[in-house]
Formats: sequence, structure tokens, C-alpha cells
Amino acid sequence: MSVVAISLSGPMQSWGSGSKFVRRSTEMAPTKSGIVGLIAAAKGLRRTDPLEELLGLRLGVRIDQPGQLMRDFQTAQRPRKERDGTVTWRSMPLSYRYYISDAAFVAALEGERALVEGIDEALRSPAFPLYLGRRSCPPAGPLALGVFDDDVMSVLAQLPWMAGERHQRRHVTQDVRLGVLRDAHAGEPGAETIHDEPVSFDPNRRLYGWRSVAREHVVVTNPHGREGAVEHDPMSVLGGG
Amino acid sequence: MFLTRMPINAARRGARRLMASPQAFHAAVLAGFAGDGSGRDGRVLWRLDSHEQRRVVLYVFSPDKPDFTHIVEQAGWPTTEAWDTKSYEPLLDSLEVGKRFQFRLTANPVRSGRRDGWKETKPLGHVTARQQEAWLLDRAERLGFQVVPSSVGAGDGVAEPDVAVVDRSVRRFDRKGAQVTLAMATFQGQLEVSDVEALRHTLTHGVGRAKAYGCGLLTLARPPGTSSS
Repeated sequence: MSVVAISLSGPMQSWGSGSKFVRRSTEMAPTKSGIVGLIAAAKGLRRTDPLEELLGLRLGVRIDQPGQLMRDFQTAQRPRKERDGTVTWRSMPLSYRYYISDAAFVAALEGERALVEGIDEALRSPAFPLYLGRRSCPPAGPLALGVFDDDVMSVLAQLPWMAGERHQRRHVTQDVRLGVLRDAHAGEPGAETIHDEPVSFDPNRRLYGWRSVAREHVVVTNPHGREGAVEHDPMSVLGGG
Repeated sequence: MFLTRMPINAARRGARRLMASPQAFHAAVLAGFAGDGSGRDGRVLWRLDSHEQRRVVLYVFSPDKPDFTHIVEQAGWPTTEAWDTKSYEPLLDSLEVGKRFQFRLTANPVRSGRRDGWKETKPLGHVTARQQEAWLLDRAERLGFQVVPSSVGAGDGVAEPDVAVVDRSVRRFDRKGAQVTLAMATFQGQLEVSDVEALRHTLTHGVGRAKAYGCGLLTLARPPGTSSS
């Protein structure tokens, strides 16, 4: 199996999984439907095109920099021309839109070699503009990180830490633990389910299934860590008593 | 004599209330003891370590065994993580001259000074990291230890002592209508035991002022690079 790695970082991201009506929420990590949609856009697929080959990909998302939740209370208005020629402004529904600001993630997708290489190529020259969950959230740099002959977890463990320098300097230790959300294996204990398995993006018949997610972590090196900086643990010298 | 470690859930409102006021925290810590907590061989000392934004740990030294159920209920994880108390005697008995430890200390470094219009001198806080380091190095010998020379940057023959101010802040809060201002500094580094009796006294009675406000608890840990026993 091969893995394609994607860097997802930008000033704003928004990855909804269950939004209804005027409250447009975001998960705190990229969703599978969002990432599959991004790849479909890069490949130039239309919303009604079948997604079959992308649905079998196994996803793992590494949280390099968690970012902060941001709420936008949106008061959009639209103009309406009256019969006498005057223009009146009508309010659109007041809505709450949620974003993650200043976050960085790395996504790894595992699948057949040819498919994975095609995704990498498409991300380098996308057919449609790419964005991080919402149209107003452009990525802050190239997305494609390359293709690896390995499994999801080991790729996420070997890629360098993509957090911003300021964020990295806040950690003094040389090793940092980064959380990973990955597709759970069948029957894995402790997995959570979220409503985030894309089936079809057809605007007339959007369909999502349930997806099992397991939480893990990987250890990566911190380029700004200080040598010998370890967490102070006074219990270590006290023994069993 | 016991050392207690307790993780604090900084996301809870009770934890915020305690962390906002060293006075409230002191009251909560002391409420964990049936008596007033002090004894012939030491007094209650406590410290809050925040390693990351969301990881806050309370350390308490006490002559008696504490019961912190009330803090767990307000500011901890009642169903999963409570507190962990260990006897301090093995460490106190194992102190020998020349033994090395990593140390951490949150203290209130002050000097006595007089400003215009003051009749008497008053303790004034040291505010720069350099002054605060000098404050600690100045009294290390009396406290029973020496700060080990640092291994990095020793190229020109003069090794700096291995101590750093890893965190510092000025806390202000009200106490009985008057404002209390504390300059707090957290030191971390490596020390070598030079006087066993003095260090025992330091570990059990604390360092410097403001011991009721989370200052003065010196804790020792295995130095980096040594394997766990």
C-alpha cells in the first residue's frame, strides 16, 4: 500500500460534519468528507460524478498545531429592487459560522499506488481552486507532501513537525506528542463514530455514512527543543511508597 | 512527610477560581488536613506547575497525609484521576553530599529596599530574570546545595551555572482590602547536595517568602540522562 500526504494549514479552516440551518459548526480536525471533496476538486470531478475509487482510502490526520475556535456571527444582506426603482436591503438569515484559526494539520491517505500517485499529481495542478473546508479558507502554501511506500501511522510519524515557529518554540522538550485521528480497524475497541463517511456529493442527494475514528499519537522531533530539557517529575525519586 | 501530586483540570470553573487567587488555593490546600498542617518537621508547601496550556499539576509537601477530595470535586477529574501521595522519607534519607538532582522551585525573590518617603525598608520584588537568578545563587549554599555548572556553552572555560528562570510573573490580588503584589519566578536546573541537614530543612520548610501563596516548595527529580532505577 502507498500513502499520499497532504499539508493542511492556513489562517482559517472549517471542517463541518453535521451542520444544520443557521449554525454551521466545525470539527477541530479535518473531516474525511472535506478531504475527499478537496481531492475530488483537484481531480476535476463534478459533484454528481461517482466517487467510488476515493471512498476506499484509509485516512489519518495529524494535529500539528491545534489552532483556536473562531465564531463568525454573519449578518449578510442582499439588495432587492422595488417597483419604483429604489433598492432595499433584505437580511439573510443570521447565522453562526465556526472556523479554526491558525491551525496546521497533516493528512495521510492510504490506497493503491496508481490512485495515490494520481492524487498527488492532481494536488500539484488542481482543476478547481482548492480550499480548506470552506471557499473562504485558502490554504497557506502547497498541499502535496509526496507519496510514500508505507502505512498511514509510520508516514505521520516520519514527516517533520509543520507547526509555526512560534508554536514550536513554546515547547521546550525535544520530542513532542502529536495527536492523530485515523480510521479505526473493524471492531477496534474505543473507537468513536462520527457522521463523516462521504458517499455522494450530489447536491440533490448528498449522502454521508458513519465513520469509526480512533485516537492515537505519534512522537516527532521539535527543531526548537532544548537539549536535555525534560519535564520535572519529583515523584520519580520517591519510589513505590 | 509526604509529597502529593494532583492534576488540575484547568477547563473547569472551580479550577479557574482557585488558579485566579493564590489565597483561595492555599485555603483549599490547607482544607485537606485535619489540623493546620504544620508540625515540628515542616509545614505545608504547595506549587502549581503548568507545563502546557492545558496541563496543570499541583504539588503539595505536607507533614501529614492529605485528603484532597474537595479539590478533585471542584477542579479535577473525579472519576478518573485523583491525587497520588508518596512518602518523602526515602528521598530525605537518601540525601548525600555530592549527589546530583534536577530541581524546580517557584519562589518570591525579594530584596529589602527603601523608596523616597518611606520611613522603613520593605521587601521589594526582584523583577528581571538576572536578578532573580542571582537571588537564588546567592543563598544556594545556605539552603544546602550548589548549582551545578552548565555543560553547554562552557567553551571559554567559564561555565554558567545550570539554572534558568523558566516562568515568571507578577501576581496582584486583594487580601483584606489591601493589595498584595508578588513577583514570582520559577527556577529549573541541576543542583549538587552540599549540606544534608540544611537541604532537608529547605525541602521541608521551604525557600523564601510567600509560602502561603504557592512559593517556596523546592522539589528534586532525577537529573536528565540517568536511567530510571
